Amino acid sequence: MDKPTAVVDADPAASAVRQRKVKKDLAEQVPVLDDEKKKLAVPAQIQSSISAATLGREKKISLAYKAAFLIITGLSFLTRTWGIGDPGQVVFDEVHFGKFASYYLRREYYFDVHPPLGKLLLAAAGWFVGYDGHFLFDNIGDDYVANNVPYIALRSLPATCGALIAPIVFLTLKEMKLSVVGATFGAMLIVLDNSLITQSRLILLDSMLTLFAVCSVYAWVKFQKLKHIPFTPRWYLWLSLTGLGLACTTGVKMVGMLTIAAIGVAVLFDLWDLLDYRKGLSMRQFSRHFAARALCLIFLPLAIYLSFFYIHFAILIKSGPGDAFMSPAFQDGLKGSEVSTNTSAIPYYANVTIRHRDTSAYLHSHVDKYPLRYEDGRISTQGQQVTGYPHRDLNNHWTIEPVDADIYPLVDHYVPDEEEQERSVRYLRHNDLVRLKHARTSTYLITHDVASPLTPTHMEMTTFKANGTQRYNETLWRVETLDGEDGDKVRSKRGHLRFVNAVHKVAVHCHKGLLPDWGYGQQEINGNKAVTESFNVWWFDEVHHARIVNGTEIGVEDTEVKAKKSPKPGRRLSFLQKFAELQGLMVAHNSGLTKPHPYSSTPITWPFVLRGISFWERKDGLRQIYLLGNPAVWWPAITGTVMYAAMWIMDRLLLRRGIDDFGNRVRNWWDSTPGFLFLCWALHWGPFFLQGRMLFLHHYLPAFIFSVMVTTCVIEFVSLRVSETGAPERIPQPRRRSVAPRQGGVVYWIAMTLMFLVATAGFAYFAPLTYGTGFKSIEDLRSRKWLASWDLQHA
Amino acid sequence: MLTAHMPGAKEQPQEDDLLRKRKPTKPDTSVAAEEHPVSPSSSAESTIPSALDKDDSKTLSKTPVDDDDKYAPRKLKSAVAVATSAAPTAEADTNISLGVLVTLTILALGVRLFQISNPSQVGDCLDTPAFDRYSGGQTPEWVVFDEVHFGGFASKYINGTFFMDVHPPLGKLMIAASGLAAGFDGVFDFKEIGKDYIAPRVPYVSMRLLPGILGVLVVPMSYLTMKNLGAANATAVMTALFVAFENALTCQSRLILLDSILVFFTALSVQMWTHFQSVKNRPFTLQWWMSLALCGAGIGLAASVKWVGLFVIAWVGLSTVKYLWDLLGNPRVSSMVYIKHFMALATCLIGIPVVIYMLSFQIHFMMLPKIGSGTGFMSPEFQSTLQGNELTETFAEIAYGADIMIRHENTQGGYIHSHKHFYPTGSKQQQITLYPYADANSIIHILPALEFVNKTAVEPQVVEFKQIKHGDVVRLEHGPTKMKVHSHDHRAPVSDAKGNFEVSGYGAPGFLGDSNDHWRVEILDHDPENPYLFALQKFRLIHQNTGCALFSHAVKLPEWGFGQQEVLCSQNGKKQLSTWRIDFNENPLQPETSKKVGYPKPSFLSKFIESHKVMWRINSGLDGVHPYQSRPLSWPVLSRGISFWSAKAGTAKMHLMGNPLVWAAAGAALGLYVLLEAIAAVLSKRQMTYVAGVFADTTRGAGLLFMGWVLHYAPFFLMSRQLFLHHYLPSLYFSILLFGVLFDGITRRILGGSSILQWIAASLGAAACIAVFVSFSPLTYGLPMSKEHCQGLKWRKEWDWDCK
Repeated sequence: MDKPTAVVDADPAASAVRQRKVKKDLAEQVPVLDDEKKKLAVPAQIQSSISAATLGREKKISLAYKAAFLIITGLSFLTRTWGIGDPGQVVFDEVHFGKFASYYLRREYYFDVHPPLGKLLLAAAGWFVGYDGHFLFDNIGDDYVANNVPYIALRSLPATCGALIAPIVFLTLKEMKLSVVGATFGAMLIVLDNSLITQSRLILLDSMLTLFAVCSVYAWVKFQKLKHIPFTPRWYLWLSLTGLGLACTTGVKMVGMLTIAAIGVAVLFDLWDLLDYRKGLSMRQFSRHFAARALCLIFLPLAIYLSFFYIHFAILIKSGPGDAFMSPAFQDGLKGSEVSTNTSAIPYYANVTIRHRDTSAYLHSHVDKYPLRYEDGRISTQGQQVTGYPHRDLNNHWTIEPVDADIYPLVDHYVPDEEEQERSVRYLRHNDLVRLKHARTSTYLITHDVASPLTPTHMEMTTFKANGTQRYNETLWRVETLDGEDGDKVRSKRGHLRFVNAVHKVAVHCHKGLLPDWGYGQQEINGNKAVTESFNVWWFDEVHHARIVNGTEIGVEDTEVKAKKSPKPGRRLSFLQKFAELQGLMVAHNSGLTKPHPYSSTPITWPFVLRGISFWERKDGLRQIYLLGNPAVWWPAITGTVMYAAMWIMDRLLLRRGIDDFGNRVRNWWDSTPGFLFLCWALHWGPFFLQGRMLFLHHYLPAFIFSVMVTTCVIEFVSLRVSETGAPERIPQPRRRSVAPRQGGVVYWIAMTLMFLVATAGFAYFAPLTYGTGFKSIEDLRSRKWLASWDLQHA
Repeated sequence: MLTAHMPGAKEQPQEDDLLRKRKPTKPDTSVAAEEHPVSPSSSAESTIPSALDKDDSKTLSKTPVDDDDKYAPRKLKSAVAVATSAAPTAEADTNISLGVLVTLTILALGVRLFQISNPSQVGDCLDTPAFDRYSGGQTPEWVVFDEVHFGGFASKYINGTFFMDVHPPLGKLMIAASGLAAGFDGVFDFKEIGKDYIAPRVPYVSMRLLPGILGVLVVPMSYLTMKNLGAANATAVMTALFVAFENALTCQSRLILLDSILVFFTALSVQMWTHFQSVKNRPFTLQWWMSLALCGAGIGLAASVKWVGLFVIAWVGLSTVKYLWDLLGNPRVSSMVYIKHFMALATCLIGIPVVIYMLSFQIHFMMLPKIGSGTGFMSPEFQSTLQGNELTETFAEIAYGADIMIRHENTQGGYIHSHKHFYPTGSKQQQITLYPYADANSIIHILPALEFVNKTAVEPQVVEFKQIKHGDVVRLEHGPTKMKVHSHDHRAPVSDAKGNFEVSGYGAPGFLGDSNDHWRVEILDHDPENPYLFALQKFRLIHQNTGCALFSHAVKLPEWGFGQQEVLCSQNGKKQLSTWRIDFNENPLQPETSKKVGYPKPSFLSKFIESHKVMWRINSGLDGVHPYQSRPLSWPVLSRGISFWSAKAGTAKMHLMGNPLVWAAAGAALGLYVLLEAIAAVLSKRQMTYVAGVFADTTRGAGLLFMGWVLHYAPFFLMSRQLFLHHYLPSLYFSILLFGVLFDGITRRILGGSSILQWIAASLGAAACIAVFVSFSPLTYGLPMSKEHCQGLKWRKEWDWDCK
């Protein structure tokens, strides 16, 4: 059982302790016992004298923390807000986010791939200073002053958020038991980073996103420190603050999911730990822990996240540029939208156009026939082509005809209801069986058991000249609205529906596949046996009928007015339906952002600052804003992070060989503190490798902050070890508050100061690119181009 | 911190409490501890009686209850470790019966090779769409997975004409070898499905026999693997029968396809690796070395057939890491011994596979010495190694007045080309494109820049042989039409983006042109001592006025440009796409002493690397739509098969369809395994050691198989190319074995180790499996069946074979 201890220590007592510990590790003993024994080993007298001596020092240190905090906050605000009004023009993505803020103030519906919180906050800032949303931020370089836009107010919100990041980082590091110097150093690296400054000074979302992410992590760290007093109000407070932070992060951009993942993994570790019988929790207590976390970290954030959308929908009540993205039913809820004004019930014998929901193509047919033989040798019926065509055309018109119950006895004889009798017109209703006559060629839409040209598993769609009762049944289509009930009238411009063949039970299906030359490159339409598929959904667009003028039916006004008076809300979408629709569209459009952008980059290049983004430039290029990380911060940050991983692996390998260099307590800190930050870094960076959309350097900013924090921990750890050889166990003292974190020796100070000075120099050197203050000469600009891949303008 | 002390204070009584409760169950945990191979207490005796055929009560009486209480937690740990390490007991039930092995093999021969000559036509994938993904003048080799293709590759090997394919060469080489051995002359081209084999006397049966026989060998392999994992004979036989009577595995191994070869090598690797696991307590013995080396060979062969073989490498790799980790924690293993272990593993599991893989490519290159359908994919250097290539040596020094051809680097687009057709957009001037073949329209006349005298352009005369050097400004005149290569402030026709300018042919009779015809020559890595431009040297052409670089990329012009590749002038294009080379150079002024140069012949390694780049490109370009393609999520639930072949008349059809019973059992086993592991983990965390031990015992050996299943399945989710059901077959193999292991563990537990009862349970399972196999067999063998039978097989409405 006994293992030879590999560590030879001068102090026999310490070595004995260590030997004991090695043994215990093997025996999986309870670490708590070990601590207790150790405490007992220190005579009580000495202990009391230690606490008396540290009392004064502790006061000093807490004062130092406060001073450092104030200085960092001050400097942070200074760097973020300095010259914030310059340039007084639209820069980079201000085009988008400024515009969205304006739409909120105009209350016009818009569509964007990001959740609403960030833009809502920007709008709130604008509203606060009385901005009315008259400016639409159309082009980069448009002038703010000439257009009377309170852009400084708008920009100060992201700037404030950006400025708060550094103090939060400071507090987090402090909570992680770093020394004043260490925590200050880490926060100063954040203060002095050019890319964070650039991103914070403009009307962009990333500084808010980053702030919320950092706040969530801070709250979680705080919560972890309250482990010993579970279920107290403070404990609940920090747990729910974590949840709030997560909700806000995700509320700004969907990448907040990565923060959720990071905290989620930490929670799982935490719970797994609590489950351990050595923790002494009964299953009941454990479930209480579980429930509290589920409540505060799942349900609370979800509710908050939904509330952002609730506000979003509550503000955007008018029709606007985002209408076209939404379903007719959704548009129906917007004031002044075409859907709510131009909709009409569809009478039989009306000429209609039918559009495909997912590709917006019209159901189309023309006199050309399918070719006798396809390229792959299959043979067609040579029937008239039915295709999907994206443009308005007379060949898109179809006449809706009723079914003759004498020929098709399965359908009931038609009996008009009161309203129809009064107006002497018959309306198309949900689940009606109809024939669709192509208006130009007077042929009926039909499908039959022949493979369609591009998709042999689907049925060919063609048209058929009416010929008595021959193949009559195959021309019958059931109109199924997606959310309809029996008796509902089908209305144009709203109400998604399917056409299902009465005989073959296939739905009219359209997809993005284009027919070859013989089909003029139009979309293929065929019969799909899987009736409920998404690509089978259509809606009625235009309705031409003698009774319908300018999109409204004659003589219906009265009832419409009546309908409005009655409190019945009709079939308006509920909030959750609206939310589900918007969220689905956001995800779909987000992954569709694959259009190449000249400044996009791949994730692997980010930590090494291989490329920046040009935000704004003057014609001569001497004044330009270029998003670029401070290399004097970024390069050490990634080095430190990699070093952490290397040291972690080395330690585990050594431990496996019985060489315990860290000691249990240090390892606990090492795993849980920089380890957690490392996890945050990895989860905020790694998943981008799987993304197919266009990516930019600023997507790395949250991960960058975590890598800076990891690096700070590593530097502190390494230099303390170097300067205090032989006492690694004493470095961080996560157990008792009374013993303040130790200050480092000479090595530590030198390392910190040097790195700090280099970072400051780097910041100052690249500041003209950050603030756009300009260079004296083109040579000055060119000298900044350290890497050939930094594509500064005119350099 | 309060809690930190509290549990500690409580600890002692609590533990006692637990121990008291646990007392009666202790023998069981001690068994678990004993079984752990590296656990110090057990390693003393190297021949621990196996727990498999050991009665529980016997163990109880044998094991003395003298264990020290304080080791309890560790022992618990080892009980769990047994479950997760999947390490079988040192000496498992080793009574491998040769008779059983032979019987199984003969049975499998019958199942796999029954009527293998049917259909006597080129089979597989009935609905291969007519459109081929690599049109544009290339042959349609790149439609994956058909007998059409793998048969076709065999004839190409026999004829020696170069081709490119997405798969490594070994499988195709083996098929070619089997064809050659049967006297196939390589004349038959396998061009279309349904082409008759009989009349042209193609030895297709012997070609099909290769995948067929390998498919047969998977069956005894699965039996041996089960034995390695410590299963009882009954279970091992049943599992082998499940593998034998699996319709999809059978169907796939009856045609000239690679998957059966891949599954065989995967099964071989699994067998060898599990065998290695069972002898790992006897390092550096002959058995240890043999199984390690053969495992290395197995994974190397698997990866040389298809890249999916990399997953089995990952499986062995991860398991090796675990092995090394365990070894690292073993205090009795000295550093030297550890290094010895490490070196042995590295040699066998890295060295051998790499050698095999490289060797397969070496043979591949040797077998294909002539130009063929794949030539166009390769760089000119590569092409120069093929017989019959059209690359000739040309004069090295390039001087003004020369007729040259400029070839684009890095896309196989070809030469700068122009013709008497005009852009329909932008300037409406003459098109400049990239065309793969060297013809008269690719000849460019290289001229010095215009001189300007009083703002009028003057054509400088070329009277002497003046070499072009780095930094020179030149004009490029299209030979036949005398138009100058020109760029200006119009956006490029297709890649219409900021910084992309159109390149056109510009000029008119009597008009000399303007300074937008001026291009600066920038030689890459130029030597300041000798700054002259030579043939085959890489250079860029920078437009003098706008600073953009002459650029091309794999973007085709629409019909008006005849589908040729777009040429433009880009300000921020990638450097490797704006790199050019001259490989044809003729000049009336060329001095006689001028040297000729040709493309250097690349080494094996650079050919190897280039082939991989091309394979990767083709592979990720397989994004067409196939009616029978499917996504990974649908595979384990067997939601749809693949139509392989269907008789022109009659009801016979061949349909890749799994045995639903086997798939259901395998799927259930996966779910059950996860559940059992999760329960065991939670229970042991709560110190319910006895129950956890039971679970651990049941799932012993399953962890390795589960990991194999995950590693062969999950990566497909990351692939966006088209995928098919048969990509799941290696994963299926792992899950069938997993089912076997769980069946063994559970029946042993429930039936109290009675081997007769276990035989009965296993026979029942096997009988059901065979019954289902038989009813689906017409689809597997392509035999006629009644319409009612055919309809009756449609257990799910998604199963869409056609019952005429």
